[in-house]
Amino acid sequence: MNCESASRNFSLFLYGELSIEEEQSFQDHLEGCEGCRKAFAAEKAIHQALDEREKLPPAPLLARCRRDLKLRLDTTAPRQADWRAWLAWWPALVRPAGALALVVVGFFAARWTSAPRPDNSLDPVVSRVRYVQPEASGKVRVVIEDTRQRFLTGDPGDEQIHRLLLAATRESSDAGLRAESMDILNARPASNELRGTLLYALEHDPNPGVRLKALDALKPYAGAPDVRGALAKALLADDNPGIRTQAIDLLMLKKEEAIVGLLQELVQKEGDNYVRLRCQRALREMDASVGTF
Amino acid sequence: MTREATSAADESPAPGVEEAVLIRAAQKGDQDAFEQLVRAYDRGVLRVAMNLLRSTDDAYDVYQETFLRVYKSLHLFRFDCNFRTWLYRVVTNVCLDYLRKRKVRREEPAVIETDEGQWNRMDNVPEERAQGDPQRNLLNRQLGERIEAVLKGLTAKERMVFELRHYQGLRLRAIGETLGTTEEAAKTCLFRATQKMRAALGDFV
Repeated sequence: MNCESASRNFSLFLYGELSIEEEQSFQDHLEGCEGCRKAFAAEKAIHQALDEREKLPPAPLLARCRRDLKLRLDTTAPRQADWRAWLAWWPALVRPAGALALVVVGFFAARWTSAPRPDNSLDPVVSRVRYVQPEASGKVRVVIEDTRQRFLTGDPGDEQIHRLLLAATRESSDAGLRAESMDILNARPASNELRGTLLYALEHDPNPGVRLKALDALKPYAGAPDVRGALAKALLADDNPGIRTQAIDLLMLKKEEAIVGLLQELVQKEGDNYVRLRCQRALREMDASVGTF
Repeated sequence: MTREATSAADESPAPGVEEAVLIRAAQKGDQDAFEQLVRAYDRGVLRVAMNLLRSTDDAYDVYQETFLRVYKSLHLFRFDCNFRTWLYRVVTNVCLDYLRKRKVRREEPAVIETDEGQWNRMDNVPEERAQGDPQRNLLNRQLGERIEAVLKGLTAKERMVFELRHYQGLRLRAIGETLGTTEEAAKTCLFRATQKMRAALGDFV
């Protein structure tokens, strides 16, 4: 590789878009060329300056976008080709059932709106028609599911709110809700309970976005043995390359001999090009050999 | 470098089964399922819009238009590509429309009203206030202005490729798919964009 091609590859190297061979050749050239080393350092500084200028959407803007979108969705019908085709085939069955469902929904809607109630004693019932079965008599059997809702307002530090947030982080089936609960908890002072919840999320949460949030929040504890154990486990077992990369970064905050073997093992079996490169780089940073001998 | 991988994973629901179930439910008209999909991806969509258009008002409009388009045309999604790629194709098209339409950059107020009260867009700019070193602050501000200028100087496509690679962490191959072009063309666009940045910012860093 000459200076001109090395210079063309500065950004591709930083973005991890070079093949292993190209990367090796690029690094070999850099080692022997002071001019390119300086130019590359400048390129890295530009990347860093650009990182710092990223425009992140502020939470209030996101909240406004979500609220307004929901209002618009309520008045916009999606196109549903499959459903309409089905309707064409089964009008006799679906139309009476649909009409009855509308009557039921209307009945409950009228119940909720007829009597105003104070905000925090509100106890609305959300009903859904779960099952509709026409009977031989010509009547229709409708199974309605009621969900009772309650509202609680309080400081995130209040014991009850805190407990509910921890429960939502662990147990909610809604990934967005788990992530939001975790965000709120992360803004609170650290506690063993929170750390346990974060470790649980890192290991068990099915959503990679939530696991990533847990990883970020575990950064201050990256030196603790239990956290390092969880990071090593994530590195070897998590199926998301983003998580594995982040786990390497956190483990590298404390460069211990113990992680060398782990990284060497990962280099051998890692299927993701970027994670493998990150692993190799980590090993080089620790003056360790890339392979096991 | 971490950004590359973290952004890629950020906010995505578990790929595969869980996401496919949500999409199928949303295709059948389940609004809850659609809202779950929105929540899984909307931070990324808003970030793309903010960085491409550098305007909160436009980013708000792009967010609304993108998800309404997706809502109305979700029945056309046939699982022949990644949902995220499909969604980013929509948002980049909406952004391109905005970039093309926008002849003159509008001035925006520094403070916008939101449900949670006022939000000052300058709060999002890295620290350059009185408590910092004045000389550093000045350099920081000048650097910020240079970056804004060079970003404005990129073509719409260069800006799009740069945003998706640098801030969203998409691989060049995925960017090619998103923009309906090849990986090689995306690489060329990225190279041009970074060349322009190097030329504009090289003496500053």
